[in-house]
Amino acid sequence: MSAPVFTPLGDAALSVQTPLARELLADLGARPVPGVQEGVPALGVLTVLFDPLQTSAAELEAALRLRLNALTPQSGEQARTRALPVIFGGPDLAWCAAHAGLSEAALITAVCAAPLEVAFLGFTPGFAFLSGLPPELQMPRLAAPRGEVPAGSFALGGPWAGVYPRATPGGWRIVGHTSVALFDLGRAEPVWWRAGDRIRVQPVAPE
Amino acid sequence: MIEVLRPGLQTTVQDAGRRARALGVAAGGAADPVALRLANALVGNPAGAAALEVTLVGPTLRFDQNALISVCGAPFVATLDGAPFGLWRAAAVRAGQTLALGSTPRGLRAVLAVRGGLRAQTVFGSASTDLRGGFGGHGGRALVAGDRLTWEPAPPLSPPGAFISPALHTPPGPHHVLRVSALPEATPELLRALTTPVFTVSSQADRMGLRVTEAVAAPHDPARVSLPNVPGMVQVPPDGRPIVLGPDAGTHGGYPTPLAVIRADLPRLGQLRPGDTLQFRAVDLSLAHAALREQERALRSVEAALGWRHAHA
Repeated sequence: MSAPVFTPLGDAALSVQTPLARELLADLGARPVPGVQEGVPALGVLTVLFDPLQTSAAELEAALRLRLNALTPQSGEQARTRALPVIFGGPDLAWCAAHAGLSEAALITAVCAAPLEVAFLGFTPGFAFLSGLPPELQMPRLAAPRGEVPAGSFALGGPWAGVYPRATPGGWRIVGHTSVALFDLGRAEPVWWRAGDRIRVQPVAPE
Repeated sequence: MIEVLRPGLQTTVQDAGRRARALGVAAGGAADPVALRLANALVGNPAGAAALEVTLVGPTLRFDQNALISVCGAPFVATLDGAPFGLWRAAAVRAGQTLALGSTPRGLRAVLAVRGGLRAQTVFGSASTDLRGGFGGHGGRALVAGDRLTWEPAPPLSPPGAFISPALHTPPGPHHVLRVSALPEATPELLRALTTPVFTVSSQADRMGLRVTEAVAAPHDPARVSLPNVPGMVQVPPDGRPIVLGPDAGTHGGYPTPLAVIRADLPRLGQLRPGDTLQFRAVDLSLAHAALREQERALRSVEAALGWRHAHA
C-alpha cells in the first residue's frame, strides 16, 4: 500500500492521496473526526473540508494518518452490476469516432464492451465518474465547456464516461442519451448508482 | 404568511448549506453567509435558519400577519408601505403591510430573515434551494408571483433597536480584492498572471460561479483528472478565462484550479456583480487563519450582544 500524500488546498481543506480513499470516507462517516465538515472522494483521493477554527491541517493530517494505518482495502465482492440503456447519437459522436479512428458503429460497440465501474460520485447530484474506458475511447474535453448540456447526456471526457443527470454546463463529449432517472428524491436511495457498481452500457434504438 | 406580489430577479430560500458533496450534491447556502448570520441574529434566530436571498432586484412581499424581520447585505432600496425601510436592523412588520425591495446600486445580494425562520423543503439536512437540481427551499426554484411563504412560530420579541456596524458589512464593491491561497497547480507564471491584473466580472455570474472577461495563458493539461472542488476555487479552463466557483458549483471539476479564495473572503463572492472589478491577492495560510479568526470573533461578539438584548428587552 503506497504511503498517503497530504496536500493543503487553501485554508480549510486537505487533500489525501491514498488507494484507501473510499475506505477513509466510510470511516470518517462512522467515526467523525472533530473539526471535519465533510469528505469528498475522487479516484485515489479524498478531499477533507474542515473548520480551521476547530482544527488545523497539521492536526488533521496526524489524525488521518492514524486512521489510514488501521484501514484495509475493501473487496469488490458486493459490487452490483447495473445495465445503463443508452441511445447513441449526439453532437460529438462523429467527432469521437474520428478521434478514435473508428466507425461510429465500432465506437458504440467498443463503449458497450468497456468494463465500466463507478469510481466515485460527484459533480452534480446523481453524476458518477465511470472508470474503465480503454485508452482509444478517452476523449479530450472541450476547450470551453458548453453552457448547457441536456439532461441525460451520455458523455466521454478524459479517462471517464458519465451521464449528466440534469442540464448543467459541461465540457465532455456527448455521444448518447439515457432516460434513466439518476437522481430521484422520491426513492429511498435518491442516487441510482453507488461507488463500486459495475456498469454495462446497453445500446437502445431511438423510439 | 407572506404573499409574493413580485418575485424580484432571483429570490431563493437559503440557509447555511448542505454537506452531501460525496453524493455529488452542491453545498448551496447563502452566497453571503455573513449577511445570513447577521440577519438571523437580529431577529433572534439560530445562525443557520432559512431566509430569503434576494439578487440585484428584490421582491415585493405582503405580510398577512405580524412579523419581525431584518434585511442585511447589499444596500438595496427598501420600503415598507412606501416609507423608507432601513437595512441592518430588526423591524416589526404589521399584518397587511407590504415590503418592497427595489434594486441596489452596489453589490448583488441581501438576506431577508423572518423571526422563527422560513418553512421550507429540507433535503440532505438543508433548506437551501438547489436551482439546478430543482430541490430544497420553496419548490426547488426561485420565487414566483403568488407564492406563499410561512415561518416557524417563535416567542414574540421586541426589535433590539440596534444597528449592525458598517465594519461588519460584506463590502459591496464595485472594486473587490479577494485574498487567495496558491494551490499546487499554481505555477509561478500562472500565479503571477492571476494576481497581477485587474479582472472584470462578466455577465456569466450566478450562484454556480462567475467568469471574468479577461483571459490568462491557460495551463495545458488535457490529462488532468477530475478532483473535488473546494469552495471559492478559481478554475482556469483552456480558454484562459478564470471561473470563481460559488456555493452551487459542482462538487468536482477537471480544469486546473491554481487558487482558492480564503474562507474569510468567501462572503465577498456573493456580492460580485457583472462589471465590477476584481483582483486576487495571494496570502499565506497563517494570514488566512488570522483573518478568519478575526471575522469570527467580530460575528460572535455581535451575536452575543444581540442575544443579550433579546433576553433583556
